[in-house]
Amino acid sequence: MKIAVLVKQVPGADSPLPIQSNQNWVDEGAAAFIMNESDNYALEEALQIRESMGEGEVVAVSLGPDRIQKVIREALAKGADRAIHIQMDTEGVIDPLVTASHFDHALKEENFDLIFSGLQSDDLGMGQTGIILGEMLGMATASLAMATELGDGRIKVKRELEAGWFQWVSLTLPASVSIQSGLNSPRYPSLKGIMGAKRKELKVVTPNVVDATQSLEKVYLPKSEKQTVMIEGSADQIVEKLVETFRNEIKVL
Amino acid sequence: MMDILIVLEDNNGRIHRMGLESIVAAQKLANGMSLSMGALVMGANGDALAEEASEYNVGEVLKIKNEHLSSYSSDGYAETVKQVIEQENPTYVIFGHTYQVRDYAPKVSAKLMKPFLVDNVDVSPNEGNVVFTKQMFNAKLFSDVTPTGDGPYLISFQSAAFSSEKADVGSAAVRNCTVNLDVSMIRTESEEPFQEEAGGIDLTSADIIVSVGRGIGKKENIALAKELAQALGGELASSRPVVDAGWLPAAHQIGSSGQSVSPKMYLALGISGAIQHVVGMKGSKNIVAINKDPEAPIFEIADYGVVGDVLEITPKLTEGIQ
Amino acid sequence: MPDFQFSNIEKIILTLGTIGCLASFGYEIWRRFKIVLKGRESLPFDRFGERCWRVIREVLFHEKVMGGRFWPGLMHGFVFWGFLVFGLITIDHFATGFGVPLLSESLHHAYSYFGIPFAILVLIGIIALAYRRFMIRPAPLGKTSPTSGFVALFIVVLMLTYIYGEFNLSPIVWKMNWWLHTSVILAFLWLVPRSKHLHLVLAPVNIFFRPFEQPYHTAVNIDLEGSEDELDSMLVDLTRMTKNQVLDVFSCVECGRCIDVCPANRGGGILDPKNHFILDLQQPLLDQGNVDVLGTINVDAGWECTTCQACTEVCPVGNHVEKSDEIRRLEVLVEGKVPQEYQKLFMNLQESGNTEGHTNSPLADRLPSYTPDMEYVLWLGCFARYGLDPNFTKSIENFTKILEFAGVSYGVLENEHCSGDPANRLGDKLTYTMLREHNMEQLAHAKKVVTLCPHCALNLEKEYGKYAEVTYRVSHHTQVIEQLITEGRIKVKKGSEGKVTYHDPCNLSRMLDEVDAPRTAIQASVDDFFELEESGRNTLCCGAGGGLWWKKETKGRTHLVRAEQVVASGADTVVTGCNFCFGMMNQGLKPLTPEGQSEIQVKDVADIVAENMVEISPV
Repeated sequence: MKIAVLVKQVPGADSPLPIQSNQNWVDEGAAAFIMNESDNYALEEALQIRESMGEGEVVAVSLGPDRIQKVIREALAKGADRAIHIQMDTEGVIDPLVTASHFDHALKEENFDLIFSGLQSDDLGMGQTGIILGEMLGMATASLAMATELGDGRIKVKRELEAGWFQWVSLTLPASVSIQSGLNSPRYPSLKGIMGAKRKELKVVTPNVVDATQSLEKVYLPKSEKQTVMIEGSADQIVEKLVETFRNEIKVL
Repeated sequence: MMDILIVLEDNNGRIHRMGLESIVAAQKLANGMSLSMGALVMGANGDALAEEASEYNVGEVLKIKNEHLSSYSSDGYAETVKQVIEQENPTYVIFGHTYQVRDYAPKVSAKLMKPFLVDNVDVSPNEGNVVFTKQMFNAKLFSDVTPTGDGPYLISFQSAAFSSEKADVGSAAVRNCTVNLDVSMIRTESEEPFQEEAGGIDLTSADIIVSVGRGIGKKENIALAKELAQALGGELASSRPVVDAGWLPAAHQIGSSGQSVSPKMYLALGISGAIQHVVGMKGSKNIVAINKDPEAPIFEIADYGVVGDVLEITPKLTEGIQ
Repeated sequence: MPDFQFSNIEKIILTLGTIGCLASFGYEIWRRFKIVLKGRESLPFDRFGERCWRVIREVLFHEKVMGGRFWPGLMHGFVFWGFLVFGLITIDHFATGFGVPLLSESLHHAYSYFGIPFAILVLIGIIALAYRRFMIRPAPLGKTSPTSGFVALFIVVLMLTYIYGEFNLSPIVWKMNWWLHTSVILAFLWLVPRSKHLHLVLAPVNIFFRPFEQPYHTAVNIDLEGSEDELDSMLVDLTRMTKNQVLDVFSCVECGRCIDVCPANRGGGILDPKNHFILDLQQPLLDQGNVDVLGTINVDAGWECTTCQACTEVCPVGNHVEKSDEIRRLEVLVEGKVPQEYQKLFMNLQESGNTEGHTNSPLADRLPSYTPDMEYVLWLGCFARYGLDPNFTKSIENFTKILEFAGVSYGVLENEHCSGDPANRLGDKLTYTMLREHNMEQLAHAKKVVTLCPHCALNLEKEYGKYAEVTYRVSHHTQVIEQLITEGRIKVKKGSEGKVTYHDPCNLSRMLDEVDAPRTAIQASVDDFFELEESGRNTLCCGAGGGLWWKKETKGRTHLVRAEQVVASGADTVVTGCNFCFGMMNQGLKPLTPEGQSEIQVKDVADIVAENMVEISPV
């Protein structure tokens, strides 16, 4: 059972992200980088599958500049057997077709049974790379997995639907599944894991050039700075205005 | 043939609200650039959806009936949309950013090697360059994204980026279309959808949260908030003091030692806005606060504020909504 | 005592019985002591005089036995002092059996004027204790045990046979009484080392060896550049108990005082320090004959502990009860099983050097930067720096006003990272190492450090000192304030703030042994001060210690028990000396204050002093 886990390094939630003067991207200098949250859950799911099967290989794969090696080492420390680093500068790269193509190129020869990825990244939030990659590799795909079950050459995935509904879907193998946060309790790297990570294989590959099909024009702060709109009047007047706000401004009615 | 193809989703025989929102988005784009539209319906309820869609100003309605689409599968739907796109040649294919779309639309993108611009909150039609606006970094920043190269471009819009009520009505003819699907293309088998027993309360997936703080006064008054939550179709939550006082179980707690949420609307009733609570909800898209203390810190982060008596306003609000 | 002869057969039986029971006694003790000797570190003999004095106070004067549980303690005292008195009598008793009595008849009789009253005291004591144990059955004592029943019976029989033996008895009756007394003593000898009554022998020894430092946990030295073998052996060491810890397990008398004072237990948690931290280890130690049993500690109980050391403080036989450090470090470093909220905390500490993952501190930016010509480094701590309770910012500012008024120069370190207390107490010794090494570099030129956070104070000097030489001295701000008041460098008048009380932070009162300085400061500042129950070194932890401030689990009321006491005390203002206590009081008091009762003010010592300082207006 060969499982690839796509992990991404993203700025932490409380990182300051000042916009560059040319508005092309943010200044990453002061950011604290961490593993994307849903990727962490994907990694844990893969490790648990390998442990329950008693055999198999979990390969962590990540795309980005040098700084992402920290997240790759973290995946190795947690138990991934080896890793692949697709080394490239990612500033301005937002097209999931491009990143998926790079992953496709790096992983094509390896014939993975499963590819796990996080549902979406906390920086760009495109939520497609794992599914696109699956399609490129000729795999069945499913997204928003809240639970997985392997058996009989298939994988069953509990998909999350809107409003508290769920649905089990059974996929043929090989399959690419995107994983939702919260489906397991990710482990913390042990000391032995951290030490051992240094000795595990970390293959660095350089990607080919792939043309982007969507591009980032600029980034900017949301136009409205928080100005609290105070609603006044008698209780009845307030209620009327609130209902109107719910309906027309916030659009929840 | 049309310039804009709107893909409508089924919600138990009616057009999904986000499908209607997509119509609004498409109409904005169409009007801004003089483009033609078409809407696609498929699946077991195709007839009903087609009939409903024909009452909107969507150009024409394409209806697909195929035995392999009687229930949803990512392979089936992706292949269908791909073939329709190849047949009809739209430049823009518009979806609502539903869980279902997230499941299959990337596959369409991969099959066509054409971009899928997701979860947009606005579109700015412009002769030279259509610009889509998307949030990034968990809605901290906005970005303008444009497709490059030739179409078709797949586009999805975030829930309530547009208001379904603004969809322009009219009339559209229904046209039957066919696609070639083979059972071997469908690599998944789905079971019936189900709801989980109300064991834990997952506030993180709620779109609307009605949250109570100490200002609710006493345990008995929580019922007022609960009714409001039900009227809004939302979930009931609270700050920590309410749980500590034993008025609600800990599963409702939001804050640094409870759940962290970012719903579409967070209605804070009698919550002062102490930092331990605020860290758990400051990501909410719209914060509405009602508190009798004008100095309460909650007003610093609220989008809409009411200085008033929670106990008076809450039941009236429930009535006003129903 | 009649001059009765014992036949040779009797002497042989006596000899065999005595040797047999002594041998069994000795064997059981030796067996346990062998295991003790396998423990890590050596048994300490430093500060010899202080240790002896401690034994005298706690054993002879029953300081901890009677503190907290006065009447049962006194009853136990009767039994204990009786035992001491009976030492000589017992030796004489056996000697008589061998035909060589130590005391002459007249001396023996004279001694009985002393012995019989004591025997009666012992009877009163043991019957009272047995009544409490078997009839009242307080929960912390645990299940009723047959052993306790036997022991109570034995003691009663011994006293009765002693008293009876002093009467004029016929030879046969006297002999039978003598043999009954002897048999019970031999049975006792057999029973003692196999039960909690081993504390008779071990308690004085255990109290002698108890570490002075509280808490006391072995340092965990991590060298990531070292060899894998070194790492393996270090990880194995993490499972091994120290000699002191093993001795603790065998000394435990199962009284349950530790349960009584445990905030997690009182808050409805599952943590039971007596069993989870001490008695659960007994069988594994004996079964394996080795000390690498720390991994058997109940993990869930281990995560509930606030590390407040109330259990250690109250133990009458000198146990360092708390073992959360030991089990947490195994879970984190060896197992990689960490609750998710703590994983986030550790990541924040590693990535940003602080508990919140922030990158700047408006408060730190407003304060002067430290330069080596300044008297103090003002160490802020993450709580203050990143506004974990925004009201506390005012307390920092009040303290700086006090310092400025007194002309004391201070500055904050630009690159102050978390002292590491949360990582240290939660078992992530690797992150702790990173933070500690960073901070020691930042403090390289510091001479004196003052901080409002007792957790920081404890780590910066005492804990860091276990790993490397610390060249600066650390004071808690209440100590500096006290000094300024007594030296007259600031003047405080007694203001009226209603009824004022003080909640001792556990890190300050117990672990830093500072109980007086805050009181001096407060009592100079207010006219109506009263003490809470469970104050001073016996303080009840606010519930935030041991990293629990960041705990997400909300069942259990560990964080509310102390707040309830404050509400019930009728105080108008509660003063604290720790930012966590400050924050917990703010969170806990409001929901617990009944309707109609006005809200209790929460202040830090710095606030109350600054508010009543003459010629200065506070923030």
